[in-house]
Amino acid sequence: MNPQPAQSEALRGGEQPVSAGQVLRIHGLSVSYPVYGQEPVKAIRDLDLGVRPGEILGLVGESGSGKTTLARAIMGLLARPGRIDGGAVNFDGRDMRALSEEALRAIRGRDIAMIIPNPRGELDPLLTVGRQIAAVARAHLNITRAKAEELALEMLRAVQIPDPKRRFNAYPHELSGGMAQRVVIAMSLVCSPKFIISDDATSGLDVTVQAQVLDLLRALVRDKRTAMMFITRDIGITAHFCDRVAVIYAGEIVELAPTGRFFENPMHPYSVMLLAAFAHNPKLREKWHKPLASLIRSQGKACEYATRCVHVEPQCNATHPELRELEPGHFVRCFVPVLRPA
Amino acid sequence: MRVLRYVGKRLIFIVPQLFGIILVSFFLVKLIPGDPAVLMLGPFATEEQLEKLRAGMGLQGTVLDQFWIYLTNLVQGDLGTSWQTTQPVLLDLFQRFPATLELITLALLLALVIGIPLGVAAAYFKRSIIKKFSDYYGLLAGALPDFWLGLVLIFFFYTMLDWVPAPLGRLDIALIPPPTVTNFLLIDSVIAGDWQALWSALGRLILPVVTLGVINAGPILKMTQSTMERMLESDFIRYAETCGLPRSVVIRRALRNSLPSIVTIISVLYGFLIGGAVLVEIVFSWGGAGQYAVQGVLNADINPVLGFVLFSAIFSLVIYLIVDLIYFAIDPRIRS
Repeated sequence: MNPQPAQSEALRGGEQPVSAGQVLRIHGLSVSYPVYGQEPVKAIRDLDLGVRPGEILGLVGESGSGKTTLARAIMGLLARPGRIDGGAVNFDGRDMRALSEEALRAIRGRDIAMIIPNPRGELDPLLTVGRQIAAVARAHLNITRAKAEELALEMLRAVQIPDPKRRFNAYPHELSGGMAQRVVIAMSLVCSPKFIISDDATSGLDVTVQAQVLDLLRALVRDKRTAMMFITRDIGITAHFCDRVAVIYAGEIVELAPTGRFFENPMHPYSVMLLAAFAHNPKLREKWHKPLASLIRSQGKACEYATRCVHVEPQCNATHPELRELEPGHFVRCFVPVLRPA
Repeated sequence: MRVLRYVGKRLIFIVPQLFGIILVSFFLVKLIPGDPAVLMLGPFATEEQLEKLRAGMGLQGTVLDQFWIYLTNLVQGDLGTSWQTTQPVLLDLFQRFPATLELITLALLLALVIGIPLGVAAAYFKRSIIKKFSDYYGLLAGALPDFWLGLVLIFFFYTMLDWVPAPLGRLDIALIPPPTVTNFLLIDSVIAGDWQALWSALGRLILPVVTLGVINAGPILKMTQSTMERMLESDFIRYAETCGLPRSVVIRRALRNSLPSIVTIISVLYGFLIGGAVLVEIVFSWGGAGQYAVQGVLNADINPVLGFVLFSAIFSLVIYLIVDLIYFAIDPRIRS
């Protein structure tokens, strides 16, 4: 796989949501959760997205927007009773949906790794962190225990844990949150995966620790040209951390752009809202009392965001908008995008 | 080091705990109506004879006086005599306690062998036939009385099929028991090299062990299943799945984290079965400790009852101590 064309395309700024050269390509993915006695909830609808090797794609959305569902669907780990209704997930040339459970198990942790929030809860409380990292290495790399433990120690060093030899034998409850997060990062990187999903991974950390962890993560990912999907609720982080930003709302991508362009001119009213510190504006805030999950869904007949939008026009309630490329590489799903006066 | 200090502390506390247990059970047993002196000497005994007997048995004076006498004897290792067996209670219990222990230990082992794998499988394969089976098993094991199951097993496997020996005690009457060392028949016959006795004892253990094992696998199964289900849903197991760890590793980790609950239920069952196996002991004429205590209660024979309570209490306390040590070994959070 040659990343060169994709990269130049990205430099021109015209990268499509899904294009050749991306290590992960999601096509028309739909996921729903059946609800007893009602229409199923469509958590992800007809979603297209891809990530190049070496790229960090930010995925921003509020709780319930489908971020985690997307991450789990990619890995084939959708929690019951969720199910994939359609679409394709292509990872490194393989159709993930066609793979057996055993084949997926071999990919998880080795080729696709995931970093999740609440790191102390993600670690087995009864095993030392060194052994847990080594266990992942041993499961995937066909190496001896001694070799795996050596590798684990090396990873602890790579994530800059102070006194790694001692921490190797520490139990999760003996670590601070930031330290545990580093352990989880070490665990996800131990097999040098091609793709990492970070699901709100730094949300539980202090701001300073968060910055340290993010810098470290970026350095490690850049170093190995790993692709990364960085899921977060904090749009501010993406400005410094990601190459492209995708905003997800009610299971749809509503805006996708290279980071620079996105922050120069966010076009979707929702993106503007996320950026505008809406909590301080009472006029904007009044439509936000209800959580996303409780809003009535349009079932594909209107703009999902119309119920909260301050720009609603008649067509927003009549037709479902498509994702349109309004400038090279900048995609927006809106009839009345916010355009900066030229 | 911490562990040793902990054990030492616990051992020191055993003495006051035992005192409390004896205190309560002594006065409770005293509430049971019935005068052993009258029962022993029969209706034609004179008041003088009765009085003399009571004095000999430490039954004169107030209840407090009697308690004091019991305690002073106890400290010297004298648990009194049973008027039914006319033997010292200590001797009786040394014969009967191992009989019960042998039975319930093997039964619990069987219960573990049934309950834990079934519970693990039912928790892991949530929509399988195994889950259905274990649900019904738990229900039946909880609903069926053990002595009834014992009778049914005797009917089928002794009366109809004649596959097992008669339910009449621990050893064939025609056999001479091996020399007493531990009073655990299996161990004693191995020590004596008496394979015939070993074979006979094993044969007679089958049905009561199966009876108790099958019934007591129920709670172990339920506890294993529910704890495993919780663990399999937990964040760290889901993360282990995300890391692509093999199924066997995932199950092992979940089971290890479930062990404290499973060990707890086992220890509770172990303590309970010392007395709780009594109906099965009666069905199989086992001559165990439970039977001995019940006979004591029914015949105002106080010393065996108190002796049994004391032995059971010591046994339970030791079991709980071992359980705490197992927690120590399993969970680093307790250690630090």
